[in-house]
Amino acid sequence: MATEIAASPPPPDTGTAAPSRDGAPLPPHLRVWRHYALVKVRKALVVVFVVANVTFFLGRAMPGDPIDVMAGRLTQGGMSLEEARIIAANSLAYDPGAPLWQQWWDFIVGLATFDMGMTINRPGFTVADSIAAYLPWTLFSIGVGTVIAVTLGLGLGMAMAYRRNRVLDHVLSVVASVLGAIPNYLIAMLLVVGGGMYLSWFDPIALRGTLSPGVEAGFNAEFLGDALYHAGLPIFTYVLAIIGTWMLIMKASTTEVLSEDYVTVARARGLRDRRIAVSYVGRNAILPLVAQIAISFGTLVGGAIFVEQVLVYKGVGGLLLDAVNYRDYPLLQGLLVVLTTCVVAANLVADLLYSRLDPRIRK
Amino acid sequence: MTDPRTEPSADPGPLLSVRGVDIAYRTGRRSRVTAVHGVSFDLHPGQSMALVGESGCGKTTLGLGLLRLLPRNGLVPAGEILFRRKDGSTADIRSLGAEELRRFRWSEAAMVFQGAMNAFNPVLRIEDHFLDTFRAHETGRPRRRAEIREESAHLLEMVRLDPARVLDAHPHELSGGMRQRALIALALALGPQLLILDEPTTALDLLTQRAIVERLSELREELRFSMVFITHDLGLAAELADRVGTMYAGRLIETGTTRDIFYRPRHPYTAALIDSVPPVSGGLVVPESLPGGPPGLASLPPGCSFAPRCRHARQVCGERRPELEVLHTRGDGLSHAAACLRSRELAAEGATRD
Repeated sequence: MATEIAASPPPPDTGTAAPSRDGAPLPPHLRVWRHYALVKVRKALVVVFVVANVTFFLGRAMPGDPIDVMAGRLTQGGMSLEEARIIAANSLAYDPGAPLWQQWWDFIVGLATFDMGMTINRPGFTVADSIAAYLPWTLFSIGVGTVIAVTLGLGLGMAMAYRRNRVLDHVLSVVASVLGAIPNYLIAMLLVVGGGMYLSWFDPIALRGTLSPGVEAGFNAEFLGDALYHAGLPIFTYVLAIIGTWMLIMKASTTEVLSEDYVTVARARGLRDRRIAVSYVGRNAILPLVAQIAISFGTLVGGAIFVEQVLVYKGVGGLLLDAVNYRDYPLLQGLLVVLTTCVVAANLVADLLYSRLDPRIRK
Repeated sequence: MTDPRTEPSADPGPLLSVRGVDIAYRTGRRSRVTAVHGVSFDLHPGQSMALVGESGCGKTTLGLGLLRLLPRNGLVPAGEILFRRKDGSTADIRSLGAEELRRFRWSEAAMVFQGAMNAFNPVLRIEDHFLDTFRAHETGRPRRRAEIREESAHLLEMVRLDPARVLDAHPHELSGGMRQRALIALALALGPQLLILDEPTTALDLLTQRAIVERLSELREELRFSMVFITHDLGLAAELADRVGTMYAGRLIETGTTRDIFYRPRHPYTAALIDSVPPVSGGLVVPESLPGGPPGLASLPPGCSFAPRCRHARQVCGERRPELEVLHTRGDGLSHAAACLRSRELAAEGATRD
């Protein structure tokens, strides 16, 4: 038997070249997998560093520094410009005299030591505190929205592919295309105006903010229920904003997989439809889409700034807008670095997840 | 479980009897193209039949149609596909219900596909494919995983693969030849009476082809399954088949024993196919090519579909469609038939060689 086996066509050398690259003897796939992860992490750090620099210089390239902006506001109250500048300089934690390279160095060193410094416009608050107070709400609403939209989108997209060119497919395709074409802030407005004002399904005023007055944060039903109640509109907006895209890409992916030989062979093998749909069609159709979950997440983080303004949801969107308007450099930089890190981290997780799910990449 | 594949073929009735089968593809709301026209043949237990012809002649469509594996727009509007089942009853595959059809597939008739490179789900290991297959056809208590693994290993050994290496591998870790062998092992898993092979060695190098074909004919001796062998490689057909059917433009235009077909082809198309293969031994002969290609199925000529390319064609060939006509029947009941208006005439002239 052994000789017969040896005679049979090419053993590992062609197909599985990757693991033996550095000739490591012991668990090669584990080693290389770690290596793969490491490469991804390094790349992610580079992206964060580049974005941090871009935000630093872009922020400062905007006309006017924090003191100009505040003084400008004070003069509208009838104060003279000089007086206003002095008051502004005294009340803000910003030294306009510090050279640019000095500010840059402080910023980079701060980042490296996880210290993003004090805010300029919110005296007494560190950047980290400010972000910590708002970011969880944004991540919570976007996270829940992404999970719901992706789950529903995958299911509906697959149903469309299985029934392509039938009524369900035609109807859902139109719905998906329309939803995909409406910008997310418009969806938010439509929800408030349509559902809240015309149809009176909910009270848009009571829904404002992240929690109802008097509700304390904590692990109890009241808090969680109230948080979800207030996050309901943003979550629904996010779901509508991306579900159309998910339906369409899942339909395309499933349609492609359905024409694969292994699906026909699985039918020929007499496998049950459910088994074929889940392990043969579904799993292979979802694989190429895993990375897109992170892209969706990134899109929503960008869109959150508008959506949160429209829905008066106290997430990071409003904070970012304030930071831009008042030229609160440290807060602006901190926010963008943290948001970027979130999106990059989501991409990283998607990449690693993909490498775990697809045996062809796992090497 | 009794194992019918080891029983000698005492019963003389055919295992598979295809009667006047049409296969069509819907191309629009009301339009359809007929890819296979009125094909009839019988396949007896243990026999193997090769279907030969150029690409686009309906061979693969016929193979898929036999197991009702046609794509969504395919249908079998006419004919009967009678199959003598393991329990002795005869069923028309066309009228099996969905669940019955599912149980029938692979346990009684399995298929090795043309695209065997992609026959395995890329995210599952080879063992999972065996497991899925056995589990789908289990009746009664589920068997233990280890038991199934052992049986799968045995099957892989039958096709000369190393189970220890193959069972835990993902498809992409195997070479084309290994995948093809693994698929054959998988096809034999449930002891089918019929194996349909659709160009099973097309994408493989010659040595691998050779090894697979040899193993396949050994296995057939051993397990006594019947085979429908779809190929455009006449050499393979000559080697593996007891009988050969030539297909052209969706019709079976000549059937006979392998010997009859290769030594006394009675249809000019079969003769041309044979002439286009260069001989391996003997003098240097320039193989004769057959100009043109098969007609489009949507616009078949009115008479004989082959007439436009046939150098023996007369006016009548373009007007009247020839039916498959039995030319002679041998003692064992196997007959030689051809669908050519001039077959007797040409044989007498010696035009279709003797």
